[in-house]
Amino acid sequence: MAGLVLDEICKGWDFPVLDRLSLTVEEGEFFVIVGPSGIGKTTLLRCIAGLERLDAGRVIIGGQDVTAVKPYRRGVAMTFESYALYPHLTVFENIASPLRARRQPKEDIARQVESVAKLLKIDHLLDRRPHEVSGGQKQRTALGRTLVAKPEIFLLDEPISHLDAKIRHELRRQFHTLEDLRRVATLYVTHDYAEALSLGDRIGVMGEGGLVQIGSPREVFEKPADLFAARVLGQPSINEFSAEVEGSDGALSISVENGAIRFPISGPPASVLGDHSDRGISVGMRPQHLSVVRDGASSANGHPTVEGTVDVHEALGATGVLIATVGEQPLTVITSPEDHYASGEPVKIALEPENFLYFDRQSGRNLMLGQS
Amino acid sequence: MTTNAMATGQSNYRIIRYIVLAFLVIWLVFTLFPLYFAIITALKPVDEINRMVPTFWPETFRFDNFAGIFADPGSLKSLIDSIIIASANTALSLVLGTLAGYALARYLRGALGENLAFFILSQRMFPPVAILIPIFFLFDETPWGTDSYITLVLLYLVFNLPLATWLMMVFFRDAPKELEEAAYLDGYTPFRAFFKVTLPLVVPGMISVAMLCWIFAWNEYLFANLLTGTTVKTFPVHIPTFVAGSQTLWNFVMAFSLVAMLPPVLLFIVLRRYMVRGLSLGVVKG
Amino acid sequence: MVGIPILIIVLIVIYPTIWMFYHAFHDTDMMGLFRRDWQGVGFQNFETVLTSERFQNSLWHLAIYLTFGACLQVVLGTALALILYEAVKTGWVRVLLLIIMVLPMMLPPSITGILWRFLLQASNGAVNHILLSVGILEGTERIDWFSVDLSLWSLVIADTWQWTALPLLIVFSGRVSLPPAVYEAAKVDGASSWQVLRRLTLPMLREIIAIAFILRFMDAYKFVDKVYVMTSGGPAQSSELPVYIAFQTGIREFQVGLAAGYAIIIFAGAAIIITLFLKYLKRVMRNVGVVD
Repeated sequence: MAGLVLDEICKGWDFPVLDRLSLTVEEGEFFVIVGPSGIGKTTLLRCIAGLERLDAGRVIIGGQDVTAVKPYRRGVAMTFESYALYPHLTVFENIASPLRARRQPKEDIARQVESVAKLLKIDHLLDRRPHEVSGGQKQRTALGRTLVAKPEIFLLDEPISHLDAKIRHELRRQFHTLEDLRRVATLYVTHDYAEALSLGDRIGVMGEGGLVQIGSPREVFEKPADLFAARVLGQPSINEFSAEVEGSDGALSISVENGAIRFPISGPPASVLGDHSDRGISVGMRPQHLSVVRDGASSANGHPTVEGTVDVHEALGATGVLIATVGEQPLTVITSPEDHYASGEPVKIALEPENFLYFDRQSGRNLMLGQS
Repeated sequence: MTTNAMATGQSNYRIIRYIVLAFLVIWLVFTLFPLYFAIITALKPVDEINRMVPTFWPETFRFDNFAGIFADPGSLKSLIDSIIIASANTALSLVLGTLAGYALARYLRGALGENLAFFILSQRMFPPVAILIPIFFLFDETPWGTDSYITLVLLYLVFNLPLATWLMMVFFRDAPKELEEAAYLDGYTPFRAFFKVTLPLVVPGMISVAMLCWIFAWNEYLFANLLTGTTVKTFPVHIPTFVAGSQTLWNFVMAFSLVAMLPPVLLFIVLRRYMVRGLSLGVVKG
Repeated sequence: MVGIPILIIVLIVIYPTIWMFYHAFHDTDMMGLFRRDWQGVGFQNFETVLTSERFQNSLWHLAIYLTFGACLQVVLGTALALILYEAVKTGWVRVLLLIIMVLPMMLPPSITGILWRFLLQASNGAVNHILLSVGILEGTERIDWFSVDLSLWSLVIADTWQWTALPLLIVFSGRVSLPPAVYEAAKVDGASSWQVLRRLTLPMLREIIAIAFILRFMDAYKFVDKVYVMTSGGPAQSSELPVYIAFQTGIREFQVGLAAGYAIIIFAGAAIIITLFLKYLKRVMRNVGVVD
């Protein structure tokens, strides 16, 4: 019925925000766009909704070119980051708004609004006004307003980013289970990588000008197309260093930041990086691929190690995050929360070079792609 | 600091406090006395008012003064004329100001729009005397002449329209654009979205604008006196007619004045929370 | 949508302004106007205005009037607003007193003028008799409030009575909206009341007071209604303001060309003041987010 196709859309003001962006979202697909704040995610949604006029390109919904169609005839529903609830109307009237716009009979409206409200667990709030309900309830109301409209395309702009953790979790679960969302094409925008990985059938990483990478959550997380995509996904964020490939065929090693960290490589990375011994590379080490080696052991399971001193250690419940200095470079490491480290304490860190990401220093491109 | 100096500081503070409070009380008396005197004058008989020594409490109360002012049918007519002119002008100012304010707030956000907005605002500040004389001749050449409702209704737009436009612009800018966009996505056309969503949001602003425009038009004297006076006569123009020979009938003047003061005073008391925003050009959110 | 209102403003503001400019350079009088008969006289009207003693005196009156009529009112209004805020903490008393003090502003200026003319009558006016009963005047002594020396001051009194309310209301509302946390912090730091006033309240209210001042100043500049009602500029032109003279010359003395000359000069003065104020006004409006 209704997929969404974006064909080389361009939008910019003083500088280009969207530069020849193309994307196809299938009917029934939940597509998450993740990217840093201010990169143009909201602009993209506004262009699809018709709230911004495109500089070039086409928006196609359900096979029909709607580029020139006004927003109120596009059949697109969108939740705004600010919720955009009508403050002078009750929750009921807010949800009913799209139906009233179509002048549906009163009983139909009441029935539909009530069923949506029940689904979203806000049926006891229908008589309140937006300023009398909590943030999570506001978001549900905004969501209800889009659901009741039965649109062909759902656009959700940071729907749960401003809520507290508990409600965020609950709503996230709700997104998984909402049948209505699973039947049509949904475009969900967030800056939170966990939301993206959890919700998306596919995710797109948005960088300057457009999408840097599109793929399944696993794919994008494990094989980021470039350094930027690697940075966007992951918390705590990836450790990145500039590095050189040293040695020759048999015994390659990586020298990070002029030798601050040095480790040998073998296996698949070695075969690719052998060609790059003359050019600089960037190394990305996800914190979970680093671990602390406790006293005594000279190496952990055969992994190479480096020595450093502890800067800070934060115990976060399920995990701990250690920031250590290794040869003047800061290094973020995931630890077990039971462990305790004092500031200034010497520490030995094990590396897993086979799991590191290697990028071309100039282009930022992931060197391992198309290889392994 | 010694205890002695502390004590002096304390008593200095006290003295300042008393002086300040005394100032407030004196000002209240200064404010209220003329109103009080107007009220008791309206209740006195003429001969008591004309005595060499005024009485500060009426010796005889003449409540029928209030009936007396309406013995002249012109009194009631002048109040009605004032109501017609003030209300018609307010309605016109509000409608036009709302449209123009909306356009300025939504479509003319650049340097051009801003300069236009400040130009409109500056029109509010120019002395009207600069246009008084040409206005006289301008209206004199219209088919309805100067002495008509239309004259004053249109003329007061000179003062009220710039204010209404500016204020409505401020209020529309406060109403988030996203709500309108949400309404578009709900399926409302811009026209319907304006009435369903945007307009209800600026109702408090419209009350503020309407109130200021109405009070201004109600209170205006100079132009009304110059341009009208025979077929149309607003109440301030009517006041000087309370005379007997060369003697002013102060009891009637005051009684009539009190009646004429009532509408703006009541408006203020009932709607005062909408007032400050408008009076301060939208700067102070009351 | 801006079109219609702009058109109306153009019609009833721009057209008369051009008309005024045109006739300011002609010897038009009322009869001439009806017969469409007037001669160009160059800058003669302006010369007459600028060299006339009547105009020069009126400028002096205006200076006094602006000082006491606008500046003093803003000072008084600010002081009263802050006193009201500090001294009265009970909600309803505060509202009641505020309503009382703002009430005069709502009254028609013409009625205010009449009322004060009545109160200030020399022989049996209420004000003189109050002064008698408190001992400031004795026996047959009376102050002639509408004499050459005092009539301008009578106008100032009546105007202050009416318009101090405007800065009072604006500043009071501004004070109410100031964040209490700042004051609590100052209390923790041990600042004296005077320091709080000097270093917190006044700086934070500066822009709001400025708005009140601009509004009052421009209204005072074009002030004419009470002059007309209370003194008619007299006696002996002792309370004439430039705007009133322009009005009088054009409407009562039928010298349209000369009146246009007056009007243009007043207009130019207003334009200069407004331009100066507008710069500041724009900044204030930007700071409070009224414009971008």
